Amino acid sequence: MSPDLVRDILIATVPLMVIFPTLFAFTTWLERKALARIQNRIGPNKVGVPLTRYGGRFSLFGLGQPLADGIKMLFKENIVPRDADRLFHLLAPILALIPAMLVLCFLPIEFPWTESLLPVQAFLLDGAVIFFFAITGLNTLAIFMAGWASRNKYSLLGGMRAIAQMVSYEIPLVLSAVVVVMMVGSLNAAEIANAQAGWNWFVFTPWGLAAFVIFFIASLAETNRSPFDLPEAESEIIAGYFTEYSGFKFALFFLGEYIAMFAISGLAVTLFLGGGAGPGIATLPWLSAMWFIAKIFALIAVMIWLRGTLPRLRVDQLMGFAWKFLLPLSILNILVAGFAHFIPQENIVSKVAVWVVSLGILYMAAKGLNQLNRPNVRPRDYKYAE
Amino acid sequence: MNEEIAFWMLSAIAVLGALVAVRKRNLIHGVFALMVFFAGLAGLFLLLLAEFIAAAQILVYIGAVGILLLFAIMLTERVAGDDGRRMTSRGWFWGLVAAVAVFVVLLLPPIQQFPSPEHARAIEPSVKELGEKLMHPYVVTLEVLALLLTAALIGAVTAAQGVRMPKEEDSPE
Amino acid sequence: MSLLGGGILKGMAVTLRNFVGSYFDRDRLTTNDYAWRAGDSLPQHAGEYPKEEGEQLRDTTTVSQYSRNFPMLLHDEGEAMDTIRCVACQICERECPPQCIYIEKSTEKMERGGNKAQFYPAKFDIDVSVCMSCQICVEVCPFDAIVMNSQFELSTSNRFGGLLLRRDDLLKSNGYYHKIHPEEAAARDRRMAEEKAAKEAKKKAAAEAARKKAEEKAKAEAEADDKKQEDTQ
Repeated sequence: MSPDLVRDILIATVPLMVIFPTLFAFTTWLERKALARIQNRIGPNKVGVPLTRYGGRFSLFGLGQPLADGIKMLFKENIVPRDADRLFHLLAPILALIPAMLVLCFLPIEFPWTESLLPVQAFLLDGAVIFFFAITGLNTLAIFMAGWASRNKYSLLGGMRAIAQMVSYEIPLVLSAVVVVMMVGSLNAAEIANAQAGWNWFVFTPWGLAAFVIFFIASLAETNRSPFDLPEAESEIIAGYFTEYSGFKFALFFLGEYIAMFAISGLAVTLFLGGGAGPGIATLPWLSAMWFIAKIFALIAVMIWLRGTLPRLRVDQLMGFAWKFLLPLSILNILVAGFAHFIPQENIVSKVAVWVVSLGILYMAAKGLNQLNRPNVRPRDYKYAE
Repeated sequence: MNEEIAFWMLSAIAVLGALVAVRKRNLIHGVFALMVFFAGLAGLFLLLLAEFIAAAQILVYIGAVGILLLFAIMLTERVAGDDGRRMTSRGWFWGLVAAVAVFVVLLLPPIQQFPSPEHARAIEPSVKELGEKLMHPYVVTLEVLALLLTAALIGAVTAAQGVRMPKEEDSPE
Repeated sequence: MSLLGGGILKGMAVTLRNFVGSYFDRDRLTTNDYAWRAGDSLPQHAGEYPKEEGEQLRDTTTVSQYSRNFPMLLHDEGEAMDTIRCVACQICERECPPQCIYIEKSTEKMERGGNKAQFYPAKFDIDVSVCMSCQICVEVCPFDAIVMNSQFELSTSNRFGGLLLRRDDLLKSNGYYHKIHPEEAAARDRRMAEEKAAKEAKKKAAAEAARKKAEEKAKAEAEADDKKQEDTQ
């Protein structure tokens, strides 16, 4: 291999492999802090830099906590159940991390590392979006592998739940992304982001807004985030496919999950929130990547907020929500997008009209679906009591 | 040079995956080996710059077919056959004959008609071109296929719903 | 018609209010940083942990007197084993839902505090890794021998047996109990005193009755004797 190629590969991928795991550590801290505050607690605030026991008193709001957690994870004993499939038990966390890391490379984050390579983006593929969905789907396999290899009924249940859920929610996820692909006329992530330069973000269009909401909900399910965290429901199936994992393997799973969160939020940013667009990117080349990551974090913050707010769904509610609500709505949204695209929007009146009509149709459809899916619950008939 | 190394590595992965998938008596291991084979194949497609087909390979074969296989296997009883027992089937001779026949009948003619590398480079298959082809000359085919899939979907839903007993109708679901 | 998803937005508003409020309103906080004391504005002594193994934490006196963690055994004033209240009746062992108590009865009885001689626990182990702090053992104990401790810093580097508290680890004086749970201890002492007084009164009454009965019997016997004597005469 030529040294130039090696250099290019390293420049394109190493930053992603360094930046996002670092952000992962920070996010775990952020999540614990935010959840604590939502529950009127304080959250981790003791571990600082240096560790408080040895003289220093800089607790730094507990920012050293992820570091301490990481060290703890590394030194913990690796426990494998006796009847487990040892090879698959080992492979599963690795397989969970690889697709998550891989899809990061499809995000159009522009790091201006060198003059000649300005801007660097890891994989410039025409089919980036479709690759993204294809590779995200591999995560399911890792979860199934973990659940099956553990030889534990809770793990297996978690694995089965994960597959059913991820397969179901992939459809609304892809269909809501299809709207954007249709409008831009490209599957290339960079082109999609460039099409939203300035303030022409797709979330500021009626169909884009609806697609964004659907995409965000489906991405919550896809990354097993609350309120769709059934595969790892602690109170029901003791953390599901994680049950038999400890130490560094668990840490890898955890890392993979958060990286998948970053990746899918990054795709949402690319598709709907203008990619790296934002004020000041013309003058400062660094700002584009910063904006991108800031937008990812905005979405992550909403995910944490939702986790602190919503209780977990039931399995039948989960499936019904994907198939009977999100799927018809996302298909309707494609139609609405086509309609909005062919209506001329020259003056403000027609723009407002398109907004009102599109959102009106989508809202009424959502209302109707909601009404249709209403569970058939009647007041209880008492046979003997009055 | 780089491409050649990549080609041989991916081929080795694919062939090994296929061999393990056939030889393993543990079904789950077999399915995962099959997926390794699919992944190697996707890598080969990518090497040929057919990125859309590579993506479709991952999406359809690993993502959908693989998961379907896993689901089917989970519903069967004896998942883990013992790996130690040797294959005793005598059918390998006819298997070989069948393999050679398939190779000669299905694969040999296209291999002979392969365009030269210079010619192939000129084709440059791109997602854009693929999309335009699908949307302009082949749009009717696409629509018919979509209709077929929709019919299959509706049929699957109907089949999954089962026969509704008259008693069940008033019970809340 | 209500807004679709309005419930979610309402819930999010509630959590947001909690999130922001917890930074401004100290009273909202349901937990306290245990190194803080009420009224302190800054965390004090953060990082001051007891240096020696087994040293009683200062913190157990700073947590609320209503907090409880794991059980402990009480003894009255004096040498711990001489005044232990537990008589190894094993009621708590049988009642414990997760079965984390293990008791071995002594072979010979022991006298304490002038009461009737009773057995004492030769072994009394509580596995606090199993204990669920339900306090049922406290409720069923007829001798007020087991109460809840509020010591919470129990971490140990020994995975096997490090969390198995032995009898001598569990033994705490009544004075310590008064220190950590003043109200509860005072109420318990009052009740015990009342019960003791009632018991003594009953005993006294019984003794009185017995004496009376004996007197009557003696009287009757004397009378009978008299009668006999009269008869023989």
